[in-house]
Amino acid sequence: MTSLLGHPAGGEGIGYSFSQPTAAPVKQHGFYPYTDNGGSTLGITGSDFAILAGDTRSTSGYNINSRMVPKVFKIGGDDETGEGAHIVLSVVGFAADGNALKERLDAVVKMYKYQHGKPMSVSACAQRLSTILYQKRFFPYYVTAILSGLDEEGKGALYSYDPVGSYEREQCRAAGAAASLIMPFLDNQVNFKNQYIPGSGEGHALEQKKAEPLPQATVEQLVRDAFTSAVERHIEVGDHLQMMIITRDGIQEVFHPLKKD
Amino acid sequence: MDHFPGTWGRPRNDVYGAYDPTYLQTTGPKTHTSSPAVTGTSVIGVKFNGGVVLATDNLASYGSLARFTDVKRLRVFGDNAVVGFGGDVSDMQYIDRLLESIDIRENYSTHGNMLNAKNLHTYLAKVFYKRRSEFNPLWNHVLVAGFDVDGKPFLSSADLLGTTFSAPHLATGFGAHLAVPILRRRFPEEMPIEEITREEAVSALKDCLKVLFYRDARSIDKYSIAVITKEGIDLKEDEQIEGQSWAFAERIRGYGRQTN
Amino acid sequence: MTSIGTGYDLSNSVFSPDGRNFQVEYAVKAVENGGTAIGIRCKDGVVLAVEKIITSKLLKPGSNKRIATVDRHVGIVSAGLVPDGRHFVSRARDEASSWRGTYKAPIPTSALANRLGGYVQAYTLYSSVRPFGVTSIVGGWDCEAELAVDGQVGSGPKSGSGGKVEGAPAGGPGLYMIEPSGLYWGYYGAATGKGRQAAKAELEKLDLTSGKLSLSEGVKEAARIIYVAHEDSKDKEFELEMSWISSLDGPTNGRHEEVPKEIREEAERFAKRALEGEDEEEQMEE
Repeated sequence: MTSLLGHPAGGEGIGYSFSQPTAAPVKQHGFYPYTDNGGSTLGITGSDFAILAGDTRSTSGYNINSRMVPKVFKIGGDDETGEGAHIVLSVVGFAADGNALKERLDAVVKMYKYQHGKPMSVSACAQRLSTILYQKRFFPYYVTAILSGLDEEGKGALYSYDPVGSYEREQCRAAGAAASLIMPFLDNQVNFKNQYIPGSGEGHALEQKKAEPLPQATVEQLVRDAFTSAVERHIEVGDHLQMMIITRDGIQEVFHPLKKD
Repeated sequence: MDHFPGTWGRPRNDVYGAYDPTYLQTTGPKTHTSSPAVTGTSVIGVKFNGGVVLATDNLASYGSLARFTDVKRLRVFGDNAVVGFGGDVSDMQYIDRLLESIDIRENYSTHGNMLNAKNLHTYLAKVFYKRRSEFNPLWNHVLVAGFDVDGKPFLSSADLLGTTFSAPHLATGFGAHLAVPILRRRFPEEMPIEEITREEAVSALKDCLKVLFYRDARSIDKYSIAVITKEGIDLKEDEQIEGQSWAFAERIRGYGRQTN
Repeated sequence: MTSIGTGYDLSNSVFSPDGRNFQVEYAVKAVENGGTAIGIRCKDGVVLAVEKIITSKLLKPGSNKRIATVDRHVGIVSAGLVPDGRHFVSRARDEASSWRGTYKAPIPTSALANRLGGYVQAYTLYSSVRPFGVTSIVGGWDCEAELAVDGQVGSGPKSGSGGKVEGAPAGGPGLYMIEPSGLYWGYYGAATGKGRQAAKAELEKLDLTSGKLSLSEGVKEAARIIYVAHEDSKDKEFELEMSWISSLDGPTNGRHEEVPKEIREEAERFAKRALEGEDEEEQMEE
């Protein structure tokens, strides 16, 4: 018997022309769930204060979305005014993730207070933030976070993170678009890298200038200088400088103008 | 005779070639929208003393085809909030029905719908963010206009990724490139919105729509404009761009009869 | 009631030998104790009104509303057990919303009444449940204009085969009353609760069948009827609660809303004057 069909009939019975299901090629998703909203943040601590700052520009590619989108948030305070907060978080990278992260941490810190009847310590909050970030290890919050406050001894505390929750306590940290511009400046001006004590020796014997906590006024000026310089060299940084100054008296928020070009 | 009834009436392989079984494939990964289909272009908006103006054109494109030419892309929510939609039109309709169901639910209470534009924007941004996190985005970029709790004019943007931002004037899509510079020149950002009149705001948006019609190939000269004030929403959905001048085109090679 | 105590009234869904469901009849008793609720189907809208007995001076005046909005164009008022009424309204809202989900259009009042009738009836069929202790009046306005589908984006063709037919009659007022048995009828004027007999007598005098009564007159009459129906329980204080649904060109633009305070108070003044007038007539006769 000759079949009309190309393949031999029989054996399996009816000869459907599509009897062999072949694996469909895996289709690629055309949707990329992230974007970069630019901007930069910076935190420096002193012996009894901490400063977290960021610019307020929001970008999409070469577009400026808005000149006033703050990246630094009070955590655990009043929803509208931030009153009562003692922890500050900055987020830079993908702004939507940044907002979601901020809201989650804010909720966590509030729940801690309601359940334990005392404010969450900065170190506990820092650990918790790491956990929150790591929980999304395989679909990360695409942000660089910096958390700041005063530690149990009243000293300035600052924790910096990568997007998946790796974190450490530091004296200072710059993050975001202009991190690579600001960080070396901070190394030199805060940790006195490449600064030596004149006449202390020759070659390797030349003594490094020892890093010590800086006074608040100096730090404020460093932050402003860091940003005015970053604005000159990075197109995604500018418009306004938002600064949160955390002392034992509370959190003070100040804005300074930056170049809008 | 073919003794296999299952093959009767089917296209013969020797004539039509083997059937491509991938068309009947029901397995494989679950897929979602990976690109929009029928789309609307820019949305533009400005705050002024006592309110906000929002405008879009009335076109829904299917790729480069001007598919629907009387599409209403400004959607009213409650008594004084408007959403202007860019991007996928079917997702816009979905969101519109979502907002309608919220409005109905809010009206169960004796106070009626108390949600303001700021509440609406927060909600929409969360819907967008949730859907992008499920890799099933609502393919839109919207502007929300109205008032905040304190009764101050409110204008804010939200997009398919859940990104949000706010400014005295905003534009989505092509408008971000063409309309925003015009609006920034006309209303410098340090200028308080109290110094901008309703008439100035409306006329600025009309000029922006005209420029967008000149230069955005996916736009038309029919538009909708909504003026939101404390008195309510003045929505016009069948407007025509006036005072067009194509004189500039004469000097451009490649237009009309000048083909070289 | 004969055959009470014969055991046939102890379980729902069980017929007595003479074909009655006693649990349903007891539910009707619960309704008969509730504050009077009425609905009037006018030519350009529907009014709902209820006599809300004040059970405590500690309750805030104007609070604890008894008339509920179900969808933009539908309202429900019930007499009987208030919590049963709330559950009933909740079901009505689900039905209205699911209709929208399916048809992308508001539910017609008749269809809603039908769904609710079916729902209430189901509570007479099982021994595990009891019937609803409410009789509910459903009032709505079906849009008389050609309706856009929910989420519709364009205006459709302006001419040709898909064009609009001018002057085709559509929509209008709807008024239905659903009883604990699941029985429901459409009404020109509906009344339930304690003062229903008096209210029905007044409604019948209004000549509603001719379709001449306007909504604004309907509001006044509704207020008056509630006041008349209250005459028999004068010792108790009450609040008048009223809502209305007008045609698209009327005061509520096809939506179900509370009657504004000024209009309600005006209607109450009218009601009180009408009552005083009756008293005087009675005195004259004496």
